[in-house]
Parts: sequence; structure tokens; C-alpha cells
Amino acid sequence: MKHFSKGLFVGAVIGALTIAAPLSQAATPQDQLVVGTSLAQVLSLDPQQATEGKAVEIMSNLYDRLVASTADGKILPQLAESWKVDDKGITFTLRKANFASGNPVTSKDVVYSLARLLKMDQAAAANLKRVGYDKDNVEKLVKAVDDQTVRIDLSDQVTAELLLYRLTTTTTSVVDSVEVESHAVDNDYGNAWMRTHSAGSGPFTLNRWSPNELVILDANKDYMAGAPKMRRVIVRHVPESQVERLMLERGDIDIASALTASDLATFQDKKGFAIQRIPTGGFYVLSMNAGNKYLANPKVREAIAYGIDYKGIEKTIMGPYGRARNVPVPENFEYAIPNPDWHLDVEKSKQLLSEAGFKDGFSLSLKTIAQTPRIDLATAIQASLAQIGIKVDIQQGNGSEIIAAHRARDFDLLIPQTSAYMPNVLGSMEQFSSNPDNSKEANNAGNFVWRSAWDIPELTALTAKASMEPDAKKRGEIYVQMQKMFVEQKPAVLPLFERFEPIVLSSKVEGYVGHPSQLTRLENVTKVETQ
Amino acid sequence: MKELSVAEFGRRLAHLLVSLFILLCVTFVIGRVLPTDPVGAIVGELADPSAYAAMRARLGLDLPIYQQFFLYLNGLAHGDFGTAVLTGNPVSSDLAQAFPATFELATLAVIISTFVGVPLGLVAALFRDSFIDKTARVVALVGHSIPVFWFGIVGLVIFYAGLNWVGGPGRIDVFYEGLVTPQTGLLLVDSLLQGETEIFWNALGHIILPAVILAYAAMAYITRMTRSFTLEQLSQDYVIAARAKGVSPLGTIWHHVLPNIAVQLITILAISYGGLLEGAVVTEIVFSWPGIGQYMTNALMIGDMNAIVAGTIIVGFIFMLLNFLADVAYAVFDPRMREAAR
Repeated sequence: MKHFSKGLFVGAVIGALTIAAPLSQAATPQDQLVVGTSLAQVLSLDPQQATEGKAVEIMSNLYDRLVASTADGKILPQLAESWKVDDKGITFTLRKANFASGNPVTSKDVVYSLARLLKMDQAAAANLKRVGYDKDNVEKLVKAVDDQTVRIDLSDQVTAELLLYRLTTTTTSVVDSVEVESHAVDNDYGNAWMRTHSAGSGPFTLNRWSPNELVILDANKDYMAGAPKMRRVIVRHVPESQVERLMLERGDIDIASALTASDLATFQDKKGFAIQRIPTGGFYVLSMNAGNKYLANPKVREAIAYGIDYKGIEKTIMGPYGRARNVPVPENFEYAIPNPDWHLDVEKSKQLLSEAGFKDGFSLSLKTIAQTPRIDLATAIQASLAQIGIKVDIQQGNGSEIIAAHRARDFDLLIPQTSAYMPNVLGSMEQFSSNPDNSKEANNAGNFVWRSAWDIPELTALTAKASMEPDAKKRGEIYVQMQKMFVEQKPAVLPLFERFEPIVLSSKVEGYVGHPSQLTRLENVTKVETQ
Repeated sequence: MKELSVAEFGRRLAHLLVSLFILLCVTFVIGRVLPTDPVGAIVGELADPSAYAAMRARLGLDLPIYQQFFLYLNGLAHGDFGTAVLTGNPVSSDLAQAFPATFELATLAVIISTFVGVPLGLVAALFRDSFIDKTARVVALVGHSIPVFWFGIVGLVIFYAGLNWVGGPGRIDVFYEGLVTPQTGLLLVDSLLQGETEIFWNALGHIILPAVILAYAAMAYITRMTRSFTLEQLSQDYVIAARAKGVSPLGTIWHHVLPNIAVQLITILAISYGGLLEGAVVTEIVFSWPGIGQYMTNALMIGDMNAIVAGTIIVGFIFMLLNFLADVAYAVFDPRMREAAR
């Protein structure tokens, strides 16, 4: 026993000193890709239900869509071999492909999948509903012309180009209608079964999903573009960042995501590893409840915008996770406007508060999910706002508590995050610029702006106009106008930092290209012998 | 004597059931009152309010809490713990999957802590204030006061990442996943039953570190208690007499002390075992161990109340059952009780 305890402590000291030497040993088999991450938020693998990032990443490999988008935003054919756009809609010609079950992919499956999405009517449907497709009109607007041809009519709220982008998301994945219907119970469109099984034509099939343990994907040998290089992909739930780091160093996993900033930093310039900082087009946001008597005042909101030390927080807290930016459009997007001049300016901020009639300051609560980096962000905002006389009381909670409070407009300040569904102004900004009905009765809890009770009829109208503008150049002009209007209105949903998803890869892994909408496909990923 | 013990048995059993019911009520009420939102977790953050309301109704969350409670009790009477939001499976089948992982870990831990802790406590008492005793006390103190979490990480850094002696997080290396069909759910047992010795050794390599770390905290407690029980016995006249007669220290322990502290030890071990099952939570997170602790932590994160209530009841039940068995053991084995009955 004595030996054990002494060993432990002596070992701890020696171990800590010698551990710096990297271990070069190939623990994972050459034909299997092992990913370590947190699967805590994965509640379903039904593409017409799940919207959580990790689930999207898995599902994008189980299913194909009509079209795909590359990491830099180009539209490519996937199940559709080609398509023709006219004034009224898009006609897709399908390529010959089979589902993993052996059933052929037909236009009927495409129609079924889109109808399934809109009829199940969960969060996944929001992306198409926002532009006028719903459970009542889907059968009228989406039709099978023949077995290999699908026609999608445009609603009166979207252009063909922007509809194509929406068709690249996993929610529009084409599912095997025969297989799915055979598992339907109580008109659930096979949802109960689909949560834990796959019925797609993608490069992989779902072998097993044990919630919070692991997901095993098997290569689909009959995939239309040829069998994937990896025989299996295993996604392992490793909730502890430090442990994940050790597993990556030891070679038990090939890719690590969900690492904390400090663990990530240990891989900076480390031989045998590479860091990818994948942009999401989304943001870390400070939501202010405009229903609050102080925050209803645009001057107060402006004071807060001048009361935060963006650069300081970017440097000390956000690190690889974020970049300071107060317009909800990443600055490298086409038509993105430069940042407004909001930076920490205590004097100006105090002056704005006194102009608003709150010279002596006031108190607010700030709700946040207890998670890296949001907790540290909340603390920094608290410290920063204290300087201008706003006393902030931080309330932490788990995801469902904080989201419930957000949905119920039950907060003063709150830190949510967003992501973009397409790499252009509308794709990243839409969530910030549209609130068709701000009344409490509208109960539009699915709308990000409604939750802040921020009434923006002009901006809402402009967003709808952009979505309907077929001319790219004119649309670009509207994009610029939208962003300017957003800034002028002193947003109650204030973007703070553009959000990145950093991951670390073992240099054995080749061909992994992180996709900004987490639609990362793995069929071309290979592993090489360590050098 | 027999009647007395049957009555006593019945009284204790009733006590167990009442405690369990109170635990159920409290957990249920807390679960429903907490501001968590399982509905949002299922239908998604941006769901339409109508889809949201439909799912809420499907889960029965739109009913008044007392009705929900009666429905829950009714289900429970039929062995139905409800459906887990997280997995969509019946909670009972989820628990049947997660529990063996925890059970395997805690059982190995209790075996290790007993086989190390009891002898250590005996020796420490026997050689009171010697070097061994002092070391044992320090070891026990450290085990008691340093968080399992820290030990877990340090253990992994040294023995997994550094020395490469043990397997990493998880129950098994990934490429063995899916090769053993669950029969008992205990991987060590199943792999042996199916003749997969390679997998057995791999699984053993994975379980040993978390089990030892989990055992350490329990061992600290067992050592301390064994030491104090033994010291108490050593100061008794009969032991002094025995030693005066020339019985060796080992003989004293074996023939006089152990039989007399056995009952107390059983109680301590039972409590430790319950604590291990319950306290595996942190260990499971550090070691990505897919047991009941991790299952419940995640359930708590999304407000999956059926899973939380059922998990709490199961853990509570086992804890109470172990206490109950310890009490019964007390009544059956304690010589004084037997004397009194006679």
C-alpha cells in the first residue's frame, strides 16, 4: 500500500515532467477513423428532426441530398445529376443511385422526404418554412414528374439560388421512403425508428448509436461514387477535454473536437498534429430583452455596445473560438460591411447612459449556459459593464434551462450562439434581422429576434426583399443596406464574436476538410502511416 | 427468537419501502418543478410553437403535476419507468444497459478496496503509531480529501498516456467494439463466456485504473474504520489476556479480533458499496465510462425527467437495500444479538 501511494506521488511528479515527450504509436487501425467529441447534445439521428451540430456532422455522411455545398460555398450536384432553373421553379434530374437497403433512389423518395420534413414540423423544418414552404403547400410545390425527375416550384418568398442553398442542409436529406414507411407507427413517419437507424444512400450506414457512448458508421460498399476509404468511422463520446487531449496524444483517437482553449493550445505547433479552425458563419451573441424597461432604450443598448472590451476578450478568452465582430456577417463574406466603431469606451458609455436618464446605473441579470467559453465570456462582460455602472448578476444553467428562459422571454441579458446555413449575408444574418410579429401573443419562440422582444418591421421587410431578389447585384445592395440598418437600430441581439469550431487532427489523417455548416463528408478521408 | 426476527425483518422492509416512496415523491416533484425543458431538447431550439405543444402533450407534460404523478405511479406499478427523451427507449431498457457498466466498475472497486483496506487497517491498529500506521493514516487522509476527478486525470496522465500500462477511457479499445454480444452486460464476464480472451484482457486493462481510483476513496474509509474497530477490540480484556497467554499477533487478529469486528465491517462495506455505485458519476465522466452516472448526468443536462427519476430510484433502492442487508446481517451474525435472543 505504501508502495502504491508513494508510487502515485513520485509518479505524478516524474510523469508530469516526462510527459512532454510525444508518443508516436499507431493505436487506431489504418482503415478506421476514430473521432473524439462530446455527443451529449445528440438526441436523434433522424435528418428531418435533428439539428444539433454533431448530429448534422454524422447525418451528412449517412444521407445524400439533391445538391451539396462546398466549404467555400459552391453548389455541387449530389443525388441530382443536373437541374434547370426557370421563373417558376427548379427541375432536378436524378442520377442512378441506390439506398443502402438496395432500393433505388427515385423522385418519390425526394418528395416523400421533403413532405416528411414539413409534416413532422419540428425545428428542422424552420429552414424551409421561413421561405414559405409548409405542411399544407408542400405537396403542391414539390412533385415527382417521373421516376428520375423532381420539380420544386418556388414559393413566393425565395429565389432559386437561395432555395438551392437550403436544399444542401441535412434536414432535406433524401430518405428511403419504402424502408422508413415500413417502420412507421402512429403516423410518426417512422421517426421513433429513424432516431436510431439510418435509411439513406450516403457513403456510410449507421451500425450502432449508443447515446453518450459512441456512434459506429460502416462504409457503404455500394456507394454511388465508390466505397469510402475508411471501413468504419467511430465517433466516441469523450466529455472531458483533458482526457480527449490525452487520447489524441496517445493515438487512440485521430480527431478531437470540443477541446477547451487551453487543451487546444497544447497542440499549437506540435509535431504530428494539425489544428483546423473551421468557421461557422455564426456568432456568440449578447441578447438583450427589449421588454426590459432599461434595455428598451436604444441609448442604453448603445451604451452596452460601448461597454464591452471585445479585443481584450478575444485575446484572453475566445482564442481559437472567436473573432470580435458586431455585424452578424463574417467580414470575409461578399458584401459584408466593416465593423461599426463599437469598442470599450467607458466615458462615452457613461454619457450615453446619462443621456438615457440612467446616470446612476442599474442592475441586470445575465443568463448563460455553463459551458466553455460562454461562462468566461459572461464574467468578462460582468466586469466590463460594472465600469459603466451596470451591475450584472450572472445566472448559469444547463442548456434546456437557458433555452427555455430564452424562448419565454424570461431574461434581461443572455448569451446564445448561432450558425449560418449558407455562406452569404442572408445565411448568417437572417436569424438577426427578421421578426414578422413581435407581439407576445404571436408566441414566435422559434424566432431569435422575437425572443428579445425587439421590434424591427423595416428590417424584417428588407430581409424578405433580399430573399426574393433574383438579381445578384441588386441583392448585394440590399445586403449592405440590411447590415447598415441593423447597426443603426442599436441591436438588441448584439453579435459579439464570430464563432469558430476548432478541431485537432493527427497528421495521419488526410483529406479531412471541415465544412462551415458541419456538413463534413468523410468518404475521401484516408490515413497514412506515421512518418 | 424466530418470530422476533421475522417481525423485525418486516419492520425494516416496510421502512425500506416507505423511504423509497418518499424518495420517489421528492425526486418527482423536484424533477417537474425544475426549469428544464425536455420538449425543447427534442423538437429543437427553433421549433414552431405548435410542434412544441404537440410534443409536450405527447409526453404528458401539459397535465397538472398530480395527474402526471398518478400516471407515473400507474406506469411504475406495471414496471414501466416511461420513455427516455435522450434515447427514445424505455428508461428501463436504458438502465438495463447502463447499470451493468457501473455495477462491474463498482464491484471491482469494492473488491479492491476490501482486500487492501481491511488488512491495512488491521496492521495499522496492531502496530499503532508505528511507521506503517502513520503511512496508512496519511494514505487514508489523502484518499478521503483529494477529489476523484483529480486522481482520474493524474492517473490517466501517468499510467495511460505516460507509462502505457493501462487502456484509455471507455470500456474497451474502439476496434473491439461490437465483437462481444452482451449477455450479462458485464464485459469481463461476457468476453470470458464467449471465449474472447483477448477482449477480456483489453477490457481488464481499461477497467483497472478507474476501479483502483474509485476504490482508493472507499479504501481510505474502510482502512480508517477497520483501524478504529480493531483498536477498540485490542484494548478489550480478552485480547489482552490472549496476548498475555502468548498468542501471536496474527493469531490474535484471526481468532479474536476479526470475528468480533466482522459485523461492523459488513456494515461499512455495504455502505461503501452503495457509495461506490452512486459515486461512480465523476469517475465515469473522466473515463468516458458508459454507466449509470454518465447516463444520469446527461439526462440532467437536458431535463430528461423520466430518466432522472428512474435512475435516482434505482440508485436509492440499491443503497437502501445494501443498508437493509447490512442490518439483517447484523441481526443474524452479531453474537450479542444471538445471546440476547437466547
